[in-house]
Amino acid sequence: MKFLLLILRNIRRNLLRSVLTALGTMVLVLVVTLVWSILMLLDLITAEKSENVKVLVTEKWSIPSRLPMSYANTLAQGAAIDPDDVRPLDWMTWQFYGGSTEKDKITRESLIFAIATDPSKVLTMLDGMEGLTPEEEQLVQLYVERMKTNLQGIILGANHLRNTNKRIGERIKLYGMGNFKGLDLEFEIVGVFPPGRYDTLAAFHSEYFARAFDAYERDHGGRKHPLAERSLNLVWLKVADTAAFNRVAAQIENSPYYTNPAVKCETASSGYAAFMDAFRDLVFFMRWYLTTACIVSLAMIIANAISISVRERRMEFAVLKVLGFEPAHIMLLVLGEALMIGAGAGLASAALTYTLINHVMGGLPLQLGFFSRFFIPVESLFWGPYIGGGAALAGSILPAWSACRVKVVDVFSKVA
Amino acid sequence: MIETLLTLAAVLIAVLLAVGKVPLGYTLRSLTVRWRTTLLTALAFTAMVTLLIAMLAFVNGMKIMTEGTGVPGNVMILADGATDEAFSNLSVADLTEIESEPAIVTWQGRPMVSRETYLVVNQMIPNSSPGRPQRRFLQLRGLDDPLMAARVHEISLQSGTWFSDAGVRELKEDAYGEVKGATLIEAVLGEGVARELGRDRTPEQLAHARNRQRLDVGDTFKLGNRLWLVVGVMRSSGSTFNSEIWAKRALIAAIFGKDTYTTLVVRTADEQSAAAFCQFLKEKYTKAPVSPQVEKNYYASLQETNKQFLVAIIFITIVMSVGGVFGIMNTMFAAVNQRIKDIGVLRLIGYAPEHVLVAILLESLLIAMLGGIFGCALGSLCHGMSATSVVAGVGMGKSVALQLTVDSTIYAVAILLTLVLGILGGLLPGLSAMRLKPLEALR
Repeated sequence: MKFLLLILRNIRRNLLRSVLTALGTMVLVLVVTLVWSILMLLDLITAEKSENVKVLVTEKWSIPSRLPMSYANTLAQGAAIDPDDVRPLDWMTWQFYGGSTEKDKITRESLIFAIATDPSKVLTMLDGMEGLTPEEEQLVQLYVERMKTNLQGIILGANHLRNTNKRIGERIKLYGMGNFKGLDLEFEIVGVFPPGRYDTLAAFHSEYFARAFDAYERDHGGRKHPLAERSLNLVWLKVADTAAFNRVAAQIENSPYYTNPAVKCETASSGYAAFMDAFRDLVFFMRWYLTTACIVSLAMIIANAISISVRERRMEFAVLKVLGFEPAHIMLLVLGEALMIGAGAGLASAALTYTLINHVMGGLPLQLGFFSRFFIPVESLFWGPYIGGGAALAGSILPAWSACRVKVVDVFSKVA
Repeated sequence: MIETLLTLAAVLIAVLLAVGKVPLGYTLRSLTVRWRTTLLTALAFTAMVTLLIAMLAFVNGMKIMTEGTGVPGNVMILADGATDEAFSNLSVADLTEIESEPAIVTWQGRPMVSRETYLVVNQMIPNSSPGRPQRRFLQLRGLDDPLMAARVHEISLQSGTWFSDAGVRELKEDAYGEVKGATLIEAVLGEGVARELGRDRTPEQLAHARNRQRLDVGDTFKLGNRLWLVVGVMRSSGSTFNSEIWAKRALIAAIFGKDTYTTLVVRTADEQSAAAFCQFLKEKYTKAPVSPQVEKNYYASLQETNKQFLVAIIFITIVMSVGGVFGIMNTMFAAVNQRIKDIGVLRLIGYAPEHVLVAILLESLLIAMLGGIFGCALGSLCHGMSATSVVAGVGMGKSVALQLTVDSTIYAVAILLTLVLGILGGLLPGLSAMRLKPLEALR
């Protein structure tokens, strides 16, 4: 305890230096925490699960995948034919729709990308919904109920609501763009997705989409919309475990139902990994270079501060040795100071980052793949002290070694 | 702007040197006496500047690529309302009408137009290592006439030939694991995608490879259940075509089920004519609704991702710079503390407080510059490295292989940042040294 007090007193003795070192540590831990938070999420979604496996069924070769709607029913059953075939636990279909709020203009702000789906599947099958707070879940449930009863209901992403300056309850018209030209849809905004994963995605009733295709055909003298025959983009399935996934994948990929176009089956994490592979060099850079450079800079700053402190206190260390302190005690004293500044500043930085990003900013806005916002995981509260403390220890080993090797005779002979 | 700031910085240093009466030798000596502290602080700067240069080189590479793709006189025509080639569907009848417009220049009596089908397709990765994705996205461009397309896009071949009219090659004997008589699809690859596909080869294949760095003429790869033969490699570095595979459109349409054109690229006389033709197609052309864009503008619009990366880089740089300032401040405060008596003596022998401030500022600047110059040297090593990324505008975006490019502007930004941090880090310690009373300092 006395040792700890001594360390604390030493830290307070040159408060300016301690504060500057701590602040330097805090800002660099902030960068590492942000980078690790992004990497952690990417690692999490691309890591294969062994239970409750989400399966993604898409067109085998082309992107974007376009399948006939007639595939939906059998795919939802995992192409099961025989009684002992494996059937998915749950399923969901996605039909993409892209429209602009302005008739002849498409900008990042006016563009709304939406999926037409069965509303009852939003809470059970949409990725990330399992992590909602009870309040958020209750709200989404309410929006889903509204969507079920109102065919023209749409749940928007938080970014859409901000960009269009609309509120829940208001109406919105989308003019189909690109492949969706001619499919102009009118919606009533019945809700908004909780901030995070679905900031840039909207969802509406698949029945309304089907009716829009019918209306197009009626209005165009019986000519179907070019996408009408292949409006299904992907099918999500949920299966119990990896073994069930392998069975369902084999059932689907070997099924004679899906030959033109052929389909492929993969786990959601495998699909995400393929999608994120385009960013692999960026992720590699963040994981190895950015983090390393931050930690090296941090270690240098701490090493510098501690070595200055050690040089200024050579006399003091000599006196301590005269008083009976062993070299190991002096080493511990120096390391303890560094560790306390590093770990303390690291913890403070992580806590501040967590609060600022998650509760003040509502997530870190960064478009990377299909993510538009990143949150700081609670684990960062452990990373902070580890990063700060680890860098402090690494940076202070040499100064501490030099401190414990102070020779009493040398120091006092210089004084004399 | 960078030039102006650099000039200002140079003027500032010149002024400091001119105003500073304390000999520069004294400043240099105090740095070398405390060489460990100087080195540690400089190393922190080195890490920071190296990182900054690498990040900016990435963004610069993307910018050069998106700005470098496209020909000024070209107009890119997509289907009405399409923001991206991948979402466009053009009918043949519409294309024919447009191709007969007089604004389009001719070559050998034919209008310079290229009918294209752009597709993103899945490729199962052969020999994928554990933990790596099992498939990747490849960008295919189906062309009717490769010679005309090459002329329209001003793309030449680095090696090999363009694909033949048939677009396929029949094997004269058993080869590539296929029997005699089998047909291989002829493909021309961008250098980037050739490099990417070349990584799939096993050590045994590499041992016998014509080119160990990338696939080359005569190599094969598998895509869409078919074997493709590389007949040419494009000189496409620095453009988004670097990541594309070009092949016969009719074959691509059959294999991947995309039977419509996505893009019509037409050549007009120059940039102004291209803009005028776009305007004409948008406002006066009534035969078919289309979405025309000057080709260079289309590729420049893919810089949306760049802007995002740039914002992230600026944020990271600012945060790391704050850390760097604290580090150098620590060093300079310690330097002032250690030399309180020196400063007292300097004041007593006639140096004014501002001379002391300038000496401290110069010292801080020199440390920062030392680290900055090392950082620039280290950062320059990333020049020419290749990286994959995605460039996107409003549409789906393109996966690209780009080259990290370090240029003089990046060095200038790094040096400027170093100077600013050096000044900021030395200012407070310098002011505290300036305020020291000579007699108190000596006591």
